[in-house]
Amino acid sequence: MSFEMWTEKYRPKSLNEMVNQKEIVERLKSFVEAKNIPHCIFAGPPGTGKTTAALCLAYDLYGGVYREHLMELNASDERGINVVRETVKTFARIRSIGEIPFKIMILDEADNMTSDAQQALRRTMERFTETCRFILIANYSGKIIEPIQSRCAPFRFSYLSKEDHDAYLRHIVQKENVKMHDEGFDAIFDVCGGDLRKAINTLQAAASLGRAIDAETVYSVIGRASPADVQEMITLAMKGDFIGARQRLREMILKYGVAGSDIIKQIHIEIFRSGLPEQWKVKLADVIGEIDFRLVQGADEEVQLSALLARLTEAGYELKRGG
Amino acid sequence: MYAAWTVKHKPQTLSDVVGNAEAIQKFTEWVKSWNKGVPKKRAAFLYGPPGVGKTVGVEALANDLKMELVEKNASDYRTAEAIQRFAGLASQYDTLFGGRRLILLDEMDGVTGTEDRGGVAAVTDIIKRAQCPIVLVANNAYDPRFSTLRGYCLLIEFKKPTVREVMKHLRKVCAGEGIDAEEEALKFITERSGRDVRSAVNDLQALAQGKKRLAYEDVAWLAQRDRKDVIFNVLRTIFYSKDCWEAKRAVDTADMDPDMLFQWIYENAPYQLTDPHDLAKAMDALSLADVYRGRIRTTQDWSLLRYVLDFMTAGVAMARERTKPSGWIPFRFPERIQWLSRTKAERDMRLAIGMKIRRKCHISSVRAVKEVLPYIKIIIENNPEMVAGIAKWLDLDETMVDYLAGGKKQM
Repeated sequence: MSFEMWTEKYRPKSLNEMVNQKEIVERLKSFVEAKNIPHCIFAGPPGTGKTTAALCLAYDLYGGVYREHLMELNASDERGINVVRETVKTFARIRSIGEIPFKIMILDEADNMTSDAQQALRRTMERFTETCRFILIANYSGKIIEPIQSRCAPFRFSYLSKEDHDAYLRHIVQKENVKMHDEGFDAIFDVCGGDLRKAINTLQAAASLGRAIDAETVYSVIGRASPADVQEMITLAMKGDFIGARQRLREMILKYGVAGSDIIKQIHIEIFRSGLPEQWKVKLADVIGEIDFRLVQGADEEVQLSALLARLTEAGYELKRGG
Repeated sequence: MYAAWTVKHKPQTLSDVVGNAEAIQKFTEWVKSWNKGVPKKRAAFLYGPPGVGKTVGVEALANDLKMELVEKNASDYRTAEAIQRFAGLASQYDTLFGGRRLILLDEMDGVTGTEDRGGVAAVTDIIKRAQCPIVLVANNAYDPRFSTLRGYCLLIEFKKPTVREVMKHLRKVCAGEGIDAEEEALKFITERSGRDVRSAVNDLQALAQGKKRLAYEDVAWLAQRDRKDVIFNVLRTIFYSKDCWEAKRAVDTADMDPDMLFQWIYENAPYQLTDPHDLAKAMDALSLADVYRGRIRTTQDWSLLRYVLDFMTAGVAMARERTKPSGWIPFRFPERIQWLSRTKAERDMRLAIGMKIRRKCHISSVRAVKEVLPYIKIIIENNPEMVAGIAKWLDLDETMVDYLAGGKKQM
C-alpha cells in the first residue's frame, strides 16, 4: 500500500495553488513575471506556508526542472559555520545555465544559525548575489542579524484564517473520501490555531481511525500526538507539589518529545479555562507571556517551563492564604 | 513526604546500631549499674569520629531501657547560665511518671572559646552532683578543655565500624526503600565515606532515591577527583550563603563545568528551598541564567557566561528569604542526566527517523520528531498494515520499522 503524508501530497506546487497569504503571493508572482527576485526573509509561525511559498516560487520560475536550480538546507540540522563556508558557497558560486541566471538557496529555520554562521552567510550573500538568491525562512526574524535583514526583502506570514483553513481541509477531505462533520473542522482549527501542517497531520491521523471525524476524534488524536497532560501538571503545581509537576513536565519533554511551545500554549488555555479568580488569570497571563518569550531566547525548555511551574506553585500558595 | 534517610532509617534498638559492640556493652553496663545506686563515675563520655553511632547509640539504649532521654546540644550550653537551667533535671533519677532519666549532652565539641570555659566548668559541677546518668558526646575527649571534666567521666571510645558493617546497614536501608543495590555500588559508597555511616547513608540517598536499582555505574562518577565533595560544597554555599560574592566565588573554586553545575542546582533547588516564594525566585534566577545560555549559543559570545553564573549562583543564593531551616537536606544527583542517558537509545532512534522524515517533509529532523512522528505513530497504530507503505515512502530500515510498529505500547 503506498503512503504519503498529506502535508506533502497536498502541498501546493505553484503559487496559484496557495490559498492564504494573498498579498505575499501577489508580490511573489510579480517576481516571477519579472524573472528576478531579491534575497528574501520569510518570517512567521509554523505551518503558515513559508517553505511552500519558497518552493512554489522556484517552481514557477524554473518550471518542472526547478529542483536543479534549487538547494534546500535546514539550519537546525546543519547550523555550523562550516556548512555555510563549504556547502552554501559551493552551491552559490556556480552560475546557473538557462534563462534565469541565478539559483535559489532556501535556508530553512535560519533563526537557528549561530551568529558566526550568519556573518559568514552575509559575506556569501554579497559576493554571489549575481549567481544565487537566498530565501531565509525563520519563525522569528529578530533572531537574524541586522546586516542580513537589511539585505533582504521581508515577508511576514501569519496564521491562516478560519476560512482559508477550512477551505484547504475540505479540499483534502473531498479528495481522500473522508467523512467529516463540520464540528471536526472547528475542533481542528481550535487546537491547531491556523497552523496548517499540524491541521493536516491531525486530519490524516484522525482519518486513519476509519470513521466519520467529529470533534471528539480530533481531540483524542491531539491528545495522543502530544500527550501534554497540562491540566494535571498545573493542578499538581498549584497544590504545592512542584517536584511532582516538574516530573510530569520532564516526561512530556523527554519521553514524549512534546514541544515546549505547545506546552506553554496549553497552559495558557488551561489557565483561562480554570476556575481561578479573574484577577489571577491576568496576573498569570503576564507570567506565561514572559516565560513564552524566554522560551525562545533560552537554551533549555524544561528550565524555562519549570520557572513557570514555580510561579504557579507560588500562586496556589497565595490563593490558599486568601490572597 | 520527603525525609532524610539518616533519620528515617535510624536504628531504634541497640542491636541495630552499626558496629562498636564492645563500647556499647561497656556503656550499657554502666547505665544499668545506676539501678544499684549512684556509681563512682556519674557521667559517661562517648567519643570518636563523626558518624560512627555515638548519639544514635545513646538514643537506642534509652529506647531499649524505656528511659526518658533529655537531649541537649551545643546551643543549650553556650554559657554557664544556660547550663544551670537544666541542672535541676540532673538532680533526680526517677521521673514523675516512674521511668528513669538519662541526660545526653551532645556536640560537646561545640562548647568552644573562652566564654565557654565557664560552660565546661558548669557541666563538671552538674556531673559532680548528678543523681541520674549523664552522657557526654564529642569527637575528641582529649581536648585540653575537657581535662578536669574527664576525671569525672567514664571514657568510652567509639571506633569506625568495618566496611562490612557499614555495608550491612546500607543494605538494610536499601531493603527498606525497595532498592536493589549492587554490592559493588554499596562498597564504593562505604569506602568513599571513610566508614562514616551518616555520610554513607546521605550519599546513598543522594544517589539512589527514587530508583529501583543502584548499579556501580551510578556511583562510579564520584571517583573522579573527589567530585562529590567539590559539588556538595559548592551547592551548600550556593543554597545557604547570604552573600552574593561568596556564592559566586564558590564556582571559581569548584573548577567544574558550569553546565553540569547548573543541572545540580536546578535539580536541588526545590528540595532546598521549600517556601514557594523562595522557590519561585530561585527558579526565576535559573530561567534568566538559561536565557543567557541561549544567548551564548546564538551569539557564541562566551563573555556572557559571567551572567549565567551570576544568576545561577548569587541569584539562587538570594532567593532564600522565608524557607525555614530544617536541618541537613542531602543533595541529589541530577535525575535528568540519568534520564537522558537512559533514554538515549530511544532518542537516537527517533532522531534517525526524523532525518528520514526531513528529506520528505521539508522540516528539520528535530521538528520532524516533534511535529510529524507522533502522527505517523498514530496512523500506524490505527492501520498496522500501513507500516510497509510508510517504510517505503520514508526509506526506513528494519530497526526503525520495528520501533514504529512495536514501540506503541511503551509510548
